Amino acid sequence: MKILVALKRVADPDNANKVKIPASGEKIDTTGLEWKPNPFDEYALEAALRLTENGTQPKVRAGEVVVVTFGPKETETTLRAALATGADRAIRVDASDDKLDGDLVARALKALVEKEKPDVVLMGKQAVDGDSNQVGQILAELLDWPMATFAATIREEAGALLVGREVDGGVSTLRVKLPAVVTVDLRIVAPTSVYSTKTPSTHKYNDGVRFAALPAIMAAKKKPLVEVKLADLAPDQALKVSYHGFAAPPARKAGIKVKDVSELVSKLKNEAKVL
Amino acid sequence: MSDVVFDLENPTEDHRMLRQMVRNFVRDVVEPQAEEHDRTGTLNVPLLKQAGELGLLGLTVPEKDGGAGMDAVSAVIVHHELSKSDPGFCLAYLAHAMLFVNNFYYASNEAQRERWLSKVISGEWIGAMGMTEPSSGTDVLGMRTVARREGEGFVLKGHKALITNAVDADVFIVYAKVDGDVTTFVVERSAPGFSVGKKTEKMGMRASTLSEFMLDDVFVPAENVLGTVGGGVRNMMRNLEIERLTLAAMSLGIADRCLDIMVRYAAERTSFGKSIAEHGQIQRYIGESFAKTEAARALVYSVARDVGPAKRNRIGTDAAKLFAAPVGKEVADNAMQVLGGWGYCSEYKVERFLRDAKLLEIGGGTLESHQKNLTKELLRKVKQD
Ligand SMILES: Cc1cc2nc3c(=O)[nH]c(=O)nc-3n(C[C@H](O)[C@H](O)[C@H](O)COP(=O)(O)OP(=O)(O)OC[C@H]3O[C@@H](n4cnc5c(N)ncnc54)[C@H](O)[C@@H]3O)c2cc1C
Repeated sequence: MKILVALKRVADPDNANKVKIPASGEKIDTTGLEWKPNPFDEYALEAALRLTENGTQPKVRAGEVVVVTFGPKETETTLRAALATGADRAIRVDASDDKLDGDLVARALKALVEKEKPDVVLMGKQAVDGDSNQVGQILAELLDWPMATFAATIREEAGALLVGREVDGGVSTLRVKLPAVVTVDLRIVAPTSVYSTKTPSTHKYNDGVRFAALPAIMAAKKKPLVEVKLADLAPDQALKVSYHGFAAPPARKAGIKVKDVSELVSKLKNEAKVL
Repeated sequence: MSDVVFDLENPTEDHRMLRQMVRNFVRDVVEPQAEEHDRTGTLNVPLLKQAGELGLLGLTVPEKDGGAGMDAVSAVIVHHELSKSDPGFCLAYLAHAMLFVNNFYYASNEAQRERWLSKVISGEWIGAMGMTEPSSGTDVLGMRTVARREGEGFVLKGHKALITNAVDADVFIVYAKVDGDVTTFVVERSAPGFSVGKKTEKMGMRASTLSEFMLDDVFVPAENVLGTVGGGVRNMMRNLEIERLTLAAMSLGIADRCLDIMVRYAAERTSFGKSIAEHGQIQRYIGESFAKTEAARALVYSVARDVGPAKRNRIGTDAAKLFAAPVGKEVADNAMQVLGGWGYCSEYKVERFLRDAKLLEIGGGTLESHQKNLTKELLRKVKQD
């Protein structure tokens, strides 16, 4: 199976307090931010690796995992990390973060998919910076491929994937014929969430994403990483989403102390109006 | 001017990737278990094996022999990052990966590597190194353990003490005198006549274990001699350089963490209606801690660039540890002072770091030994001129 995984780097969500917005409110000031791969994308990569291996021999890849990101030269760090974790090949679509929106990324990905011809495109359900949650869906529409979003489990079948999605009150299971687009939720990295046809059903993975071992980190430098121009994938770079302004969340107001439960209930009812 | 940014801590992309990998491991796996092993005074053996899976145990062994082929800066990076969370575990890692594996590799021959290397690089076997004895530490050449020739090998007799990992180790590097000359041996735990004592209780570094071992006429074949008979001092002195350097890096990790804890606390704690960070005395703790930590960082990382199997840097590594060890202890102490009573309680972790930090003024050479050796070396240079 050949899988294309789309990865985005985001400002380290653990240091969200470092995000600064200049007084003009025009854009987010990214200087001094630490970058990390979007966690949901890391889960997508983990799922892709699990789908292209026998879980008992995770060093042998059965199939190919190609990772792609959009961004300036520095985003190659994200790709190298993915190569160290087990991806075979990487593509960087040269672009500037503030000249992209979900629609343009999806259109460029479509062109890339047509070139690469993967069986599956795996991605995170959303990026934790903009929380837009739309690239996977737009891409599936543009490709006219079946799609499963928010995957919590994936089981490989001949020519299809059986995808479990957690919905209110239960699990909905979809069978998507390949090729397909699948976006993943955080439970996809639980020990028994993903099985390729090669992995014995008794196998349990470690919880979470795998660590890259040192030899793999060093070997990753020799794996292919190519740069592609955005214009070659998407001649029309017009954006559909334009940002009108940014504002920091209002500072939290100091709390108050209440005498007793009845005062608390009354304040919740009459002032906060949450009861 | 080139636009290449000078990155003191990560001279190359390899170093940066190594650091990121260790940070992820520390955040997800090491940090959550640190307190428990400090409390119980036990080595987390599975964690050491996991470090093996990640390729960290053969860090400084060339790739052709199954290691990661990395340099002294890399060794500093690993010890620096591990010690931000768990200096005790880091000391056990150091005893294994530096005192045993690195020492072993650079003194061993092909047959010996064949026999032991993959076991200790994978973590299947845990290693330890025995130099110190009950009656000689700083005066290491005053050791009394002897090896007398017998048949195709040697019979070892003696007593080693204060040995990190001895409780859990499967294989030991042992220094003993053959006709008065220090020689390096590999001794397996299962060797008849070899026995390990009870765990030695201690103040800090409690996530590593310490014990003594006795050699009661232990026979070892000649193939277990590392390097040449009488070549032990050379092995020992070479390996002490990376040992001092990585111990200094541990102090730096402790200082970095304690500085972080103290600044965060000062940002939130108020007294007399204002932030404690506005009190000049608190600013002094923070300011001096930061300046000294930065100085230690600059020294440790610059010395690290000049340490390796083929270079000698006795004076630099003595200086790095002499300077960095008290910085770790002082910054941990300052953090406790800034946190007041809460700093003395376990929850905020600085009391653990303070207990751990003290060891670095003693183990791998006391401050006094660094002062003495540095001076000796400087005098020697003057006399040469
Ligand atoms: C937690 C821990 C882990 C350790 N792990 C290991 C290990 O894995 N392997 C190993 O071999 N050893 C290990 N050691 C031993 C350590 O290296 C020694 O404790 C250290 O070298 C000091 O020796 P000593 O304790 O015998 O003190 P001594 O040498 O007896 O020193 C006592 C005091 O006298 C001072 N002193 C001694 N000689 C001089 C001098 N010439 N000039 C001025 N002052 C002097 C010392 O600085 C010190 O203040 C460990 C120790 C500890 C506490």
